[in-house]
Amino acid sequence: MAIESIDVGSQTTAADLDVKTKEDYFTASQGQLIWTRFKKNRSAMFGAYVLMTLILAGIFSPFISPYDPNIAGRDKEYMNGAPQFGSFCDDNGCSAIPFLHTQERSRSLATNFRWVTTVNKDKRRYITFLPKGWEYTVLRFEMNFPGKALDFVIPGFTFDRHLFGATEGKVHIFGTDSSGKDIFSRTLHAINTSLAVGTIGVFIAFFLALFIGGVSGFYGGWIDSVLQMITDAIRTVPAIPLFMALAAFIPDTWSAEERFFFISIILGLIGWPTLARRVRTHLLTERNQEYVLAAELCGARPGHIIRRHLLPSFTSYIIVDLVISFPYMVLSETALSFIGLGLKDPVNSLGVMLQNVTSADVLLNYQWYFIPVLFFMALVLAFVFVGDGLRDAADPYGDTKR
Amino acid sequence: MLQFARFAFTRAFLAMFTLILVSFIVFSLMELVPGDCAERYLAFKNTQGSGISLADIETERIRLGLDQPYLTRWVSWIGNAFVGEFGNSCILRLNIADLLGEKFYISLGICLSSLLLAYLIAVPAGILSVTSKSKTLNNSIRFVSYLGLAMPNFLLALMIMLFSTIMFGDSLTGLFSAEFRDAPWSMERVADFLSRAWLPVFILGWSATAFALQTVRALMSDEVGKLYVTAAEARGVTGRRLLWRYPARHALGPIINSLGFDLNRIFNELPIVALILTLTDAGALLIDALARSNDQQLAGAIIFLLTASIVALNFITDIILALTDPRVRRSILG
Repeated sequence: MAIESIDVGSQTTAADLDVKTKEDYFTASQGQLIWTRFKKNRSAMFGAYVLMTLILAGIFSPFISPYDPNIAGRDKEYMNGAPQFGSFCDDNGCSAIPFLHTQERSRSLATNFRWVTTVNKDKRRYITFLPKGWEYTVLRFEMNFPGKALDFVIPGFTFDRHLFGATEGKVHIFGTDSSGKDIFSRTLHAINTSLAVGTIGVFIAFFLALFIGGVSGFYGGWIDSVLQMITDAIRTVPAIPLFMALAAFIPDTWSAEERFFFISIILGLIGWPTLARRVRTHLLTERNQEYVLAAELCGARPGHIIRRHLLPSFTSYIIVDLVISFPYMVLSETALSFIGLGLKDPVNSLGVMLQNVTSADVLLNYQWYFIPVLFFMALVLAFVFVGDGLRDAADPYGDTKR
Repeated sequence: MLQFARFAFTRAFLAMFTLILVSFIVFSLMELVPGDCAERYLAFKNTQGSGISLADIETERIRLGLDQPYLTRWVSWIGNAFVGEFGNSCILRLNIADLLGEKFYISLGICLSSLLLAYLIAVPAGILSVTSKSKTLNNSIRFVSYLGLAMPNFLLALMIMLFSTIMFGDSLTGLFSAEFRDAPWSMERVADFLSRAWLPVFILGWSATAFALQTVRALMSDEVGKLYVTAAEARGVTGRRLLWRYPARHALGPIINSLGFDLNRIFNELPIVALILTLTDAGALLIDALARSNDQQLAGAIIFLLTASIVALNFITDIILALTDPRVRRSILG
């Protein structure tokens, strides 16, 4: 598209451009303009690439991760093991396919009957691509209502191919944890879980914010005052203690999935006030515009005006707000899981992974436990960079200001 | 003057209203937690080896007033809470006011100091990043503030602890060293406290600064481009004088207004930091009350106190804003 070549930033060059590109610029939709501005922001683009990679890694986590992240996939031979990287050469020559050396665990009189791991440098285990491994099911959906007749199951598809693996034994590129679970697999599944919690939370918060902020901003007057008072009251309650009180409400008998949905819903129920305030502010300024009056004179009902006229006027801002509030959802989930009230250990979420690194023992001896922390930081940073870039891009006066 | 009095009065009324509303939310949540105080205490007794019957639970319930209707109990709870009386803890059987005592004030002090630290750094840095032409400076300030968001504060705490253990042989955990833990307040104890309290303040301030920096930058960059700034510049006001008298004054208004909510966010992180640094303050007590022993009476008291301090801070900042800005005085609901 020709629009990409336009320098939106300066009027002088825009005047020099031929009529064709100028027309492109003036007829470009809001979305195209935002995209053009966004693409020029290098750090935001970089963030977007990282984010896309992480999201894809999360979505395809069962395929990419070589082993089951749960206890079923643990490696009994290699607990608290350091990351293993394939090498191409050793003393016995080189190979085109990366390989690992076999580890042998033995105990005898010589080792005082303790288990000792030795590396056998003469035996090679090759890395294989697309091997068959543990089975996973995608697109499975289950709903359990009280009463057997109402159970609702979509079976989904089962696969057992994975991106890579090793012949004889296992390969752990991020090492293993104390029970022998593969940290690489766990990290990918954790990204998936945390993103899912964030998405559900953001959407619940978003609809509440849109509804409450919309009503408050559209009607104004005493309805606005009362709603603002309630919003402020909810913002005043310290969120983590509130989470904690609610999380204490979760019975121990709940399954991991129930717990997961409950946490996401709580996150959503608490996260809306900031977003609602912004929606309200936008609406308060927009509702006095002439086009709203025109619609009112045509006899449109309030719901119609809000949906068809007011919301489209700041859709881009809402999208930006959504992206910006996403990392806070992920952060809250992490914080909650970290203090042991959110998701708990068999579930793989970033908060659970972070919880595992808190001991000095890990810091001194098992540094590879920190790899998920890097992923967590990358995820939050990528979201913040993209959100900031989008905010700048969505601001129509952003270019003239500088 | 009359206008100001009316403003202050309305605000005080609103603050009370918020507090009562929040206390109702908190109280209802505490009620939602399955089981009540009587059952919990007697279940605890049961684990200690004394046999318990249903009749015992009933008498205990009557003794604690748990047989009263919901609203009656809420009214008596809130009435007592306003005079600082929270009853006894469910499990520990100690008076909550005594149990919390100075711990709550220490927590509040730590949070307020980190808030202060955050804005002492964020306001100049934020203004500088907006006004300076240097791209590197701007980008590095941006990056540091992003890092403050993304770097989990418990990780920072762990790093510092490890570093100080290796370098000085002291892990810096806790709020007092062993010999001062139960000692009465004295000059030495204060010095000992201060030599340890800087760490939680620093760690809490770290992410608070990142948030504050974001806000200051956003508000400042909105204001700098406005026409009144250009007008002031045309009249010959330049440099720091221009910045502080015109855009900064306007940009700081909303920031002062939201200080209470910032305090809220810092409180949120306190339990996490407290857990890592093994601080024995209210944050740690709260975790204990909620996550381990399910002590609703204690948890409710702590949340109520937290909310009360946030509401109080909001009220104070409102009054300060009203004193400096006549427009705020006129708009009663703001």
